Amino acid sequence: MIRRAFSATKTWFTQTWSDLKESADAGLLASARFFGLLYGPIDRRLRIDQALKKSLRYRLPSHAGWRHAPGGITYVLFLVLVVTGVLLALHYRPSVQEAYPSVQHIVSNVSFGWLIRDLHVWAASLIVIAMMLHMARVLFEGAYKPPRETNWTIGLLLLFVVLAFGATGYLLPWDQWAYWTVTEVLVAIASFPIGGNILAEALMGDVIVSGATLSRFFSIHVIVLPWASLALLAYHFTLVRRRGIAPPPGVEDTKAQRRESAVASREEILAEAERADEGIPFWPNHLLRSFIVTVLVLAVTISLAALFPRPVGAPANPGELPHELVSTWVPVDVSLALLRYLGIWGFVGFTLLGVSFGLIPLFDRKPERHMRKRPVVVGIGLLFFIGFIALWLAGRQIGSLPPSADLGEPRVGERVTPAEPGLPVPDLGPEPHRQQVDPAEATGEGGAQ
Amino acid sequence: MLATPHAAAAAPAPVVAQQGDSIYGCVICHADKRRSFSVGVHSERGIRCHDCHGGDTEAYEIAPAHRGRFLGTPTKLQTIELCSECHADPNQMRQFGLAADQLAEFRTSRHGQLLLRQGNTDAPTCTDCHNAHLILPPEDARSEVHPTNIPATCGRCHEDEGLMGRYGISTDQFELYRGGAHGVGVFEKHNFAAPTCIGCHGSHAALPPQVTQIADVCGHCHRLLERAFYEGPHGPPTLGGALPGCLGCHSNHGAARTEPAGIAALCASCHDVETGPGLMGLEIQEQVLRATAELELAAEAIEELELMGHEVGDARFRYQAALSEYQQIALVQHSLDLEQLEDLGLRVRSNTGIIRATAETHAEEQWEHKLLLVPVWFLALSAIALAWFKLRELGK
Repeated sequence: MIRRAFSATKTWFTQTWSDLKESADAGLLASARFFGLLYGPIDRRLRIDQALKKSLRYRLPSHAGWRHAPGGITYVLFLVLVVTGVLLALHYRPSVQEAYPSVQHIVSNVSFGWLIRDLHVWAASLIVIAMMLHMARVLFEGAYKPPRETNWTIGLLLLFVVLAFGATGYLLPWDQWAYWTVTEVLVAIASFPIGGNILAEALMGDVIVSGATLSRFFSIHVIVLPWASLALLAYHFTLVRRRGIAPPPGVEDTKAQRRESAVASREEILAEAERADEGIPFWPNHLLRSFIVTVLVLAVTISLAALFPRPVGAPANPGELPHELVSTWVPVDVSLALLRYLGIWGFVGFTLLGVSFGLIPLFDRKPERHMRKRPVVVGIGLLFFIGFIALWLAGRQIGSLPPSADLGEPRVGERVTPAEPGLPVPDLGPEPHRQQVDPAEATGEGGAQ
Repeated sequence: MLATPHAAAAAPAPVVAQQGDSIYGCVICHADKRRSFSVGVHSERGIRCHDCHGGDTEAYEIAPAHRGRFLGTPTKLQTIELCSECHADPNQMRQFGLAADQLAEFRTSRHGQLLLRQGNTDAPTCTDCHNAHLILPPEDARSEVHPTNIPATCGRCHEDEGLMGRYGISTDQFELYRGGAHGVGVFEKHNFAAPTCIGCHGSHAALPPQVTQIADVCGHCHRLLERAFYEGPHGPPTLGGALPGCLGCHSNHGAARTEPAGIAALCASCHDVETGPGLMGLEIQEQVLRATAELELAAEAIEELELMGHEVGDARFRYQAALSEYQQIALVQHSLDLEQLEDLGLRVRSNTGIIRATAETHAEEQWEHKLLLVPVWFLALSAIALAWFKLRELGK
């Protein structure tokens, strides 16, 4: 009897599933048509339902495997950042007076505000790691070779955009750690011999990090960079579709030839139709795989957000240095380790190493994709990525560094508030030196002559 | 004996430029004295060497210069007369806002008694504390009577064991003072509300306070504590001279707060532990320790709340309220009013209790946040399982 019940349930599930499948197709079509009804002429001209069906029928090459996941993970995390960022921006106030209290408000009063905020912070760290993994995979597989070198450059620009996102976003909580870390970075920029001062002042909007900087960083973070990333991402994905996912070294690259125009020629359409049964269909196979990865990534990020919430320092105070600057972002961990062990020149050197990746497509254009046949590029890559991991782990160990800024001694006339509660005391300036009345002194110079 | 210094000192002296001093004869031999004198306030008023020392200023050799009404290095008594000629005259001192009672006070002091009545030159004269030539006002940090320098100035004699041994005076005051709360206040925090030697002993009228006067001297600043002390059981015996007032529990030169953990031991130094006062001491210690612990826990709770991004304005305000109540416990430790102590303790606890309750609520919320992971992972794993099985099915 149990066996009958079990098989009956199984049949019901199978039936329901196949019904769902049929209606899914029909449903998708129907929803596309419904919106088409609303926008009738547009739909007929653009043929949205046809485009949707075509994109669902897309087939990935069979060599697309789990090693291609980091790219998608990066995109998922980017979407998490966008959604949580919008939700945060509903409550955040980008002014010197209100920034810190608004973040406190988000974390304490807004329902699930704590989750949105910590998701945003953790996703910002994880996206850097996922990007590094993605970049490493592309580099070591040689997927930057022609005809995909433009995509490599676009990818590097995206890396820069993501780092800029994090750098501008780092200041927004307006606590002591954020304020003084950003001040140190800008002081370092200002110390560059050529144009450093101009660049630093342009970034700051003022001579010190102040409300002008906060407004500037906020608008860059929320307006400028999202548009830039939208454009770059769209182009990045388009290029991936057009050139196809790079096959492993040795396998023939069917899409390596450049088209003359965006519209496919007749031969190309026929060739594509021949290959219509090769590869992994997007729907449902690849979508399911993506779904698994997405759910895992989200679950991991939510877990990190719930288990390790981001601590907050004291509110920013330009007149007072904190005892330590705690790092809350992966690149800051890396920078801490660089500065502690290799100094400022080590920092510059490592950055230049990363920037030199942009030059790779200029130099490495041979079709060779095996790692052993590209020793220079692979060597630079190993140096950078293993260095990155080592520096990141070292940075996590360090955790925090004392600030290197120096506010200097209070000048004569400045009121010095005692650190402990007590009576306010007039400042006497630097240690008074007793005027030693030395007879030799006054006649000294005359005597020496 | 001495002719009065000439009338230039009586009228408001114009500030005389110092260039003319190059023809001033004294300077030829005594250039160092001139340099130190020119820094001080007297030279700004046009007072010069001959105003105090006499002699001929236009002579360039020793014998003609040291002629006439010449007072070389004045003795201690001569110094007092010399300075008093201006400084004991209210008509001359009024314009500078200076009191003219230093001489009168000095006569009453121990130094004055030794020097003026007994002619004992162990005692200091004016120039022993205020430099003979480099005379600066007390507000000037280079002055020997600036608060940070007074203990060292007094210490020149009072740390000399040979000198003090003749009078049976100890020489550890400066060391004790430096380690005590007043010394730390003056030397490290530059808080000149804290007294130096002269704050308790007087400057020109320097005398150690008598036993019945000690509480009043401390009460110059610690007014409320003095009043509480006199209201308590130790007050009347102190007025009668049986108890040494503040000195019973606190050091005079090494003045410091009593540690809460040492209260009972302090009471036990006079009272038997089994008796009423001894038990009261234990009770007070317990209450004070409890209030201190509550405050520390509340401070920790606030730090933790702030670290997690919680709003702490309300909590900080409550902490200030608790701190204000706590600071009143010091009064009760002197009036020994147990009822008031319990009341204060209750008030401190009610405020810190609210702070800690906020922190605990927050901690509970943190825990609930972590509980969220259970449904999240349940849903995630089931979704992944469904997708995985579907994928496998498609693969076959």
